[in-house]
Amino acid sequence: MTSSISKISDRTEQPPVIISHPGDVAGSQLRLTRDLKQILHLTIDSDRTWSRVKVVRAAPLTHPDRYISFLDEKGVEICMIDDPGSFNEETLNIINEELDRRYLTSTILSVRSIRNEFGTSYWDVETDRGEREFVVQNAEEHVRRLGSHRLLILDVDGNRFEIPRLEKLDRKSLGMIERTL
Amino acid sequence: MSQFNESKSHFIEQLPETVLDKVGKAIGPFEEVTIQVTTDMVDTHRYGSRWLVVTNHRLLVLAPDDSTPEDMQISMQSLKTVHMEPMVGGGRLMLVPYDGESVCLFYSNSLSLKFAEVAEGIKRLIDGDEPNLPLEMDQTRCHKCNRLLPEKGGICPACIKKTDTLFRLLGFIMPYKTQALLLVILTLFTAMLQLAPPYIIKFIIDDVLTTGQSADQLYFYVGLLFGLSVILWVSEIVRRWLNTWVGFRAIEDLRTGLFGALQLLPLRFYDKRKIGSLISRMNNDSELVEDYMIFDAPFILSNAVLVIGIIILLFTMNWELALFVLLPVPPIIIVASLVWDYLEDYWRRWSIQWSRLTTHISESINGIRVIKAFSQEAYEGERFEEHNQSLRKASVSSERSWLVFFLMTNFFMSFGAFFVWYFGGLQILDNKLQLGELMAFIAYIWMLYTPLQWFSDYYSFIVRAFAGAERIFEVIDANSEPFDQTDAVPMPLIKGHVNFRKAAFAYDPGKNVLRDIDLEVRPNEMIGLVGESGVGKSTLINLITRFYDASRGSIEIDGVDIRDIRLADLRSQIGLVAQQSFLFNGTIAENIAYSKQDASFEEILRASYAANAHEFIIKKPDGYDMLVGEQGRRLAGGEKQRIAIARAILHDPKILILDEATSSLDTATEKKIQEAIARLVAGRTTFAIAHRLSTLRAANRLVVLDAGRIAETGSHTELMARKGIFYRLVKTQQESSAIMAVKG
Ligand SMILES: Nc1ncnc2c1ncn2[C@@H]1O[C@H](COP(=O)(O)OP(=O)(O)OP(=O)(O)O)[C@@H](O)[C@H]1O
Ligand SMILES: [Mg+2]
Repeated sequence: MTSSISKISDRTEQPPVIISHPGDVAGSQLRLTRDLKQILHLTIDSDRTWSRVKVVRAAPLTHPDRYISFLDEKGVEICMIDDPGSFNEETLNIINEELDRRYLTSTILSVRSIRNEFGTSYWDVETDRGEREFVVQNAEEHVRRLGSHRLLILDVDGNRFEIPRLEKLDRKSLGMIERTL
Repeated sequence: MSQFNESKSHFIEQLPETVLDKVGKAIGPFEEVTIQVTTDMVDTHRYGSRWLVVTNHRLLVLAPDDSTPEDMQISMQSLKTVHMEPMVGGGRLMLVPYDGESVCLFYSNSLSLKFAEVAEGIKRLIDGDEPNLPLEMDQTRCHKCNRLLPEKGGICPACIKKTDTLFRLLGFIMPYKTQALLLVILTLFTAMLQLAPPYIIKFIIDDVLTTGQSADQLYFYVGLLFGLSVILWVSEIVRRWLNTWVGFRAIEDLRTGLFGALQLLPLRFYDKRKIGSLISRMNNDSELVEDYMIFDAPFILSNAVLVIGIIILLFTMNWELALFVLLPVPPIIIVASLVWDYLEDYWRRWSIQWSRLTTHISESINGIRVIKAFSQEAYEGERFEEHNQSLRKASVSSERSWLVFFLMTNFFMSFGAFFVWYFGGLQILDNKLQLGELMAFIAYIWMLYTPLQWFSDYYSFIVRAFAGAERIFEVIDANSEPFDQTDAVPMPLIKGHVNFRKAAFAYDPGKNVLRDIDLEVRPNEMIGLVGESGVGKSTLINLITRFYDASRGSIEIDGVDIRDIRLADLRSQIGLVAQQSFLFNGTIAENIAYSKQDASFEEILRASYAANAHEFIIKKPDGYDMLVGEQGRRLAGGEKQRIAIARAILHDPKILILDEATSSLDTATEKKIQEAIARLVAGRTTFAIAHRLSTLRAANRLVVLDAGRIAETGSHTELMARKGIFYRLVKTQQESSAIMAVKG
């Protein structure tokens, strides 16, 4: 293990740095870097450093572009940034990469078929990641409407599919979805 | 996707040709492939597949197409470690070499269980061990039709035939087969009797009225009609009486079976489902089946007999006219099959809206205190109105579509009558047909069309009832806890030696809550489990009670793997005071005696004294006979806890588990319970969880959990001397409350 990690676990006697309120740290104070081993390092004000940092969204569904939270190796929040507009470009790129990788939600572009059988529906769709078949059970529980036009679908394995704007789908797909819900 | 069908092991999947070639080129002749699996994502942006092939010498990551630039190879010696990185909706497997960049394989959640095993297997290979992969993995696709299964390892709804469901339903009638047989015979008999009156009318018109013969024959025919009505009436009474007798008994058995199955299902089954939807299975689905057995099935049977009988009669009377009668039938069938899907969709939407409304009602009644406390009555009202409105809309549109369907078929049918009047009338004018025959024809037409029209309706009843029956059978068929495992080791007298061997557990694959738990507990030892909230303390004890089974490693009691111990023996010797004390709707005495139904009142008293519950019970006007209300609503939190402790004491278990058993008690009461517990733990192996560390004073050993692992073990003094996690926990508590300070 690298030396920076062991230092962190020794940090026990020091009081933890509590700067999790969005107002306390500005995005411009943060710097994210990735080393050769793909390990993420977060530096605040160029004097405090954390390794193996995780970047997560606080509200991935309702506020996907705001409230970005940085967690340390153990999953304890280091800080949260309300508005990612203030990050420098390199950091922002890494943040976007990380978020992109973490949230594997596919966007459904069109629906090829939906078959309904006794509370279970079998979907065959075209997504931004390619074709996919999946099964949804109890549509009333696992298809969430977010606002009036957005749909989040959770399949039996816990994979996520999103339809950001229902009205943008073609009529055929829309018809099939409407009939299922 | 042939790899799902023909693989030898779940971790040696069938390779496509191109990959097979690549593997052939990459590995030596005597290299043994131990793992050979596919992912379902190329990277985070594309679905597709990558193959991971592991031999004792190297790991290959291969693309399924001819292109090679993305293919990679790592030798086993240069691999430092592998780890899984769970993400939201999937994850990645990172192969980390000593130097150079890590190689990642991406997979969606559908495969995370498989890759969790693969990661562990590779880790063991790195250590030079056998990969030791599990032999069984839950199937994701049906092995017959290869369709995705609604539930891993579950049944394929496409492959269970409708007739199977029918036969299983019939199976519930089998205990009453004499009555059922009688019922069928009676049904056929009454149906055939119904065919007679129009035919008699034909004779009255043709042989009596139009020929102007004497009234003698009229007496005879009318007498016959009357006699038939009486017979019909009597047999109808007997039929219905029998029908309800058999039907309700079968339904009772079905419901008992369902409830019994629900009791035996493992907790994992409940984790995935809303209580409301299970209750709806219990209520609505069995009602659907009930309606079917009591009303629809006999109706269908008798009407089917009627329809067939009428058609035969019509053709023997006059085949030309009979053809005209049948003319509207094909269009009706075509229309019905065309609109059928839509009707079903409407009906499904309606039932979804119903279940939303019911869920909301039950939730708001359960949470009425919270609603009132935050004065959100108006908000709940609005939400209800929303659901109510959607239900109305769904009801209106489903009713409307039924109506349109109904009227349309009716319209087609009236054509049949027109044809018969017209062509029959012509035949009468030509003297080819008699008036009585025509009248009988017309009567038969309506007897024929009415059931025909309802057949589509019956079809919907059947579909609904079968859907209900299948949902019920799904619960009945779900893997229940292995209570009746025949090769289980009986263990009527547990000594209390508990040994965790490298046990690990995950509620969701890949997200281990516990890992590498090694802990040996001697008989009669008291273990205090400590750790911050969410670290997995309750989970650890859930493994002892076998509410869940360890995903890896094992737990032994007296040297026997608990998976091999007879479940009834195991549970009957474990006493649990759970974190959320649950009381049943009944009296205090009944709740204490829940663990030992035949306990005498003296025993109950003794247990309640020992739990220090007696002092508050005696103050209640009804004492031990006080009704506690649903979920013990009428008792204080601390009172409920003490009843739960008394229940465990009465159970007299060999292994005692106290999960936050004293969290709702004030310090004075807790002190009393301390004494009770001290008395109780003698002669038992005890696991106690407590946030208030003073509660664990009596423990022989404290086990500190951190990040799912055992971080520290030792006596209170040892752990304090160590100045680790426990020391810090104690210090924080001392700071926050001087009263609760732990004495060394
Ligand atoms: N049925 C479940 N399904 C999925 N995850 C669960 C389930 N039960 C618990 N968890 C998760 O497992 C982790 C450990 O939970 P557990 O109940 O064992 O914690 P605990 O140590 O008992 O906490 P506390 O002291 O607050 O009772 C938590 O992160 C929790 O969210
Ligand atoms: Mg707990």
